[in-house]
Amino acid sequence: MSLKMFSFLIVMSAAALGATGARAEDQDDIDYRQHIMTTMDEQLAAIQQIVHNKAPADNFATHVQIVAVTAATAKAAFTPKVPGGRAKPEVWAKWADFSKRLDELAAAATALAKTAKEGGVQATAPKLDTLKCDGCHDVYREKEK
Amino acid sequence: MSTRPAIANRATRTGGIRQHLFAVGLILVPLCPLTVHAADKDVIEYRTHIMHTLNEQSAALGQILSASVPDANAQAHLEAIALTASTALKAFEPKVAGGESKATVWSNWADFSKRMNDFARLTREAAKMAKEKGFTAAGPSVIDALTCKQCHDVYREEKK
Repeated sequence: MSLKMFSFLIVMSAAALGATGARAEDQDDIDYRQHIMTTMDEQLAAIQQIVHNKAPADNFATHVQIVAVTAATAKAAFTPKVPGGRAKPEVWAKWADFSKRLDELAAAATALAKTAKEGGVQATAPKLDTLKCDGCHDVYREKEK
Repeated sequence: MSTRPAIANRATRTGGIRQHLFAVGLILVPLCPLTVHAADKDVIEYRTHIMHTLNEQSAALGQILSASVPDANAQAHLEAIALTASTALKAFEPKVAGGESKATVWSNWADFSKRMNDFARLTREAAKMAKEKGFTAAGPSVIDALTCKQCHDVYREEKK
């Protein structure tokens, strides 16, 4: 094998490895934000079960608190501009709007957690739509295939 | 006036009520098991939401510990784990087998609930330490607290 050919193969291998590395990092970013969004799905599902008397209310305020804690982590998870998963490219194309909505979500969830702690299910249930999950998903999340 | 027709009417009416109750009973008997099943499904779903949350948050924390994502949210993930751990035992109190839970959860309830309480306490302490002294200082406590596998090996069915 000539030296040129050998060098070419080394460069090609390095390029391939580099590309694989970049893809792995992107997948990490996608996985990470999915962990956060799935947490919110799971906790909101538990909250809905309690609201509909399908689960005991003992943990209600804690579930809402978990949503608040998790909502506050979402913006950092979406900051890397990595399309994929169910996030539409609009997330980054309209970052000012998207990040504003995430800030509002975090604030609404914190207020809701306070309501849940002080007023329980009855006081909180009518205010759950202040989280505006659908409003954001309609614009920024791909529909499930 | 004879009382016979009245008695006959009453007998007919009583018979009608009996028939009616019998028919209602026939409808309700098959519905009862369905209701129990629906309630069981709710119980399983509820604890699954909690365990999935623990999985997701532990995975996020694992990504941070392996430096594959930034650590900005580390303390929050730990807090979410501690809060979720505190809700888990309640979700397992109804003795409803199913999902990924082994029947040993309830046959060894004293051990299972002790492990759950320990898990909740250790994660709470780790979260407190992370809040007060930073996530790096809390590292060893985090590792001590997240002994998920030891419990899963005994009490969780392997995924098929």
